[in-house]
Amino acid sequence: MIAVKGLRKSFGPLTVLDGISFAVAAGEVVVVLGPSGSGKSTMLRCINFLEPYDEGEIRIEGELVGYREAGNGKRTPRPEGEIARFREQVGMVFQSFNLFPHRSAVENVMMGPVHVRGISRKAARETAAGLLAKVGLAEKMDEYPARLSGGQQQRVAIARALAMQPKVMLFDEVTSSLDPELVGEVLLVMRRLAQEGMTMIVVTHEIAFARDVADRIIFMDKGTIVEEGDPREVLLNPRSERLRGFVRRFTGALPES
Amino acid sequence: MDLAPQLVNFVARYVPYLAQGFALTLALAAASVPLSLAWSLAILLPRLSKRHWLAAVAAAYIEVMRNTPLLIQMYLIYFGLPLFNIFLSGFACGVLAITLQHGAFLAEVLRGGVESVSARQWEAARAIGMRNRQAFRLVVLPQAVVKVVPPICNQLIVLVKDTSLVSAIGVMEVTLSAKVIIERTGASYEVFVAVALFYLVMTTALGAGLRVAERRLALRFG
Amino acid sequence: MFHVLIISLPYLLKGAVVTVWLSLATISLGTLLGFALGTAGAVGPRPLRAAVTAYVFVLRGVPILVVMFLGYYVFPALGYRVDAYVAVGAAMVVYVGAFVSEIVRGAILAVPSGQIAAARSLGMRRGPMLREIVFPQAFRMAIPPLLNTALTTIKQTSYVSVVGAWELSYAAREVVERTLAAFEIFLGVMVLYFIICYPLSVAARHLERRYAFAS
Repeated sequence: MIAVKGLRKSFGPLTVLDGISFAVAAGEVVVVLGPSGSGKSTMLRCINFLEPYDEGEIRIEGELVGYREAGNGKRTPRPEGEIARFREQVGMVFQSFNLFPHRSAVENVMMGPVHVRGISRKAARETAAGLLAKVGLAEKMDEYPARLSGGQQQRVAIARALAMQPKVMLFDEVTSSLDPELVGEVLLVMRRLAQEGMTMIVVTHEIAFARDVADRIIFMDKGTIVEEGDPREVLLNPRSERLRGFVRRFTGALPES
Repeated sequence: MDLAPQLVNFVARYVPYLAQGFALTLALAAASVPLSLAWSLAILLPRLSKRHWLAAVAAAYIEVMRNTPLLIQMYLIYFGLPLFNIFLSGFACGVLAITLQHGAFLAEVLRGGVESVSARQWEAARAIGMRNRQAFRLVVLPQAVVKVVPPICNQLIVLVKDTSLVSAIGVMEVTLSAKVIIERTGASYEVFVAVALFYLVMTTALGAGLRVAERRLALRFG
Repeated sequence: MFHVLIISLPYLLKGAVVTVWLSLATISLGTLLGFALGTAGAVGPRPLRAAVTAYVFVLRGVPILVVMFLGYYVFPALGYRVDAYVAVGAAMVVYVGAFVSEIVRGAILAVPSGQIAAARSLGMRRGPMLREIVFPQAFRMAIPPLLNTALTTIKQTSYVSVVGAWELSYAAREVVERTLAAFEIFLGVMVLYFIICYPLSVAARHLERRYAFAS
């Protein structure tokens, strides 16, 4: 469903992505691990074109992300409207929640359906209420973000992304800025989403989550994919020295499940 | 000291003469405030435009408004437009001049607000499929406005006080009424004490009203 | 097409000179008054602080034009015959003083309380502490808004023409009444004001940005 081939991106002289290739099938959960600065967040942001990429291609259901292809192999950036329409199919959740502080929880979730899809407020509100119930926030519907805990805000952000009925969900270190006791509630929502068959790409440092939920793990370092494969395989028998060091640092004693 | 009752007497004597002037000043303010706010938004968009020439034109306009007196702008409109066969009333010219000037100042305040909204808010809006325009209108601008409510309040109070300048182009608002009363009746400065009190009440009421609005906003998502 | 403007330019420039002098006088005297009031309003005894607050409250709520008219009519009513410049100039100084005082007071109160605690812990007494620690820091913060107030004051000197004192705006109206060349004269006068104001406004913005980064 998603195919990334030879993806390259640099900021000035700094190469952030140095030829990334991988594919994600429908319903698959792929967890991307890697030290900070390995380019995993940038890669994720390229997938919904918040970040333009320099070379290579990203295709979602065969369609090239962000650029129009001319016959002769050249490509031009798509107009804003096309990019916006494409982003509707890709849900994204951010590390810093990024809820709209001037709108209540339910209005945050309704924002996309009402203003992008043109759905009636009444219908959108019903759907939004359903989604908030799903992430366990039915009674917080009318609260403003400032009155919600970090974990609650992040769950609203997940509901907001789901409201667009995306084909794939991108999670960008969504638990990294949460207090430890709030991480669990967010991961639980993501776990359920995975069980329902949502296609997900998850950038995270939560190794236990990766081991239990991922269908496949990708380990990135310095802008390249170093290892890729079955979670248990990759985590228990890391082939590369770098992944071994990373796993040891982040797990300490990884509890068996 | 019986200064206070004396003052009340002074003031009360002239209130009937000034009533029409009061009404006209209120009308000037009521017309200029919403128009200036609307105009500030109209300048803000080109000022923030990615097209450089458009942003430069808007910036130049703001710079001219910032560095020249409202009085001269008002004269230019009032005495200048008839040369182009455009005849507007003094009231309309006054409102136009105030709108052009204060719209520019309000736009600068708003721009500060827009620039202080985090880039992440733009991203979050784009991520759910919004276009830049929608993201600006629905996500960024409302937050910017909330952030700059206090300086906007200050600017609006300055605006209301500036309606007194319309007296210079012959509109019989409260300041000019007071001057005329003095010239006709031989009254003295106490007429202007009454006028000053009137402005003080008006600006204080406006300030208090805006502060209540601000506090409500802050309570909701401060 | 601008020949009326060119012919009138010497006369207008004379007006511009008066505008500049009026600006310099009212800004400097108003700033002095404002510093005294603002300091009293921040660190003075309680009744003085209340008086300053009341003074600022009243003047900030009233248009400067009304204050000028008050100045213009109040002197004769009290039995003093003064020059129109003195009357409106005094009104401007009183008005500018209120705005400056609010800036100065705010800046003094914005000096972090840790600075005062540190000075006290060194055994400094109140006088030296204010002079050596508080005022220098407050002054730095106050400069950009003071420049903006000065800019506003220059533009407000034009209002004295409405009350009847001769300067650039008054001269412009005279020329227009004689020649009817409203458009070119007022446009030309706008340019003159722009030339007077622009350096100050650039300086204000520059310092605003610099201090914003520094803090």
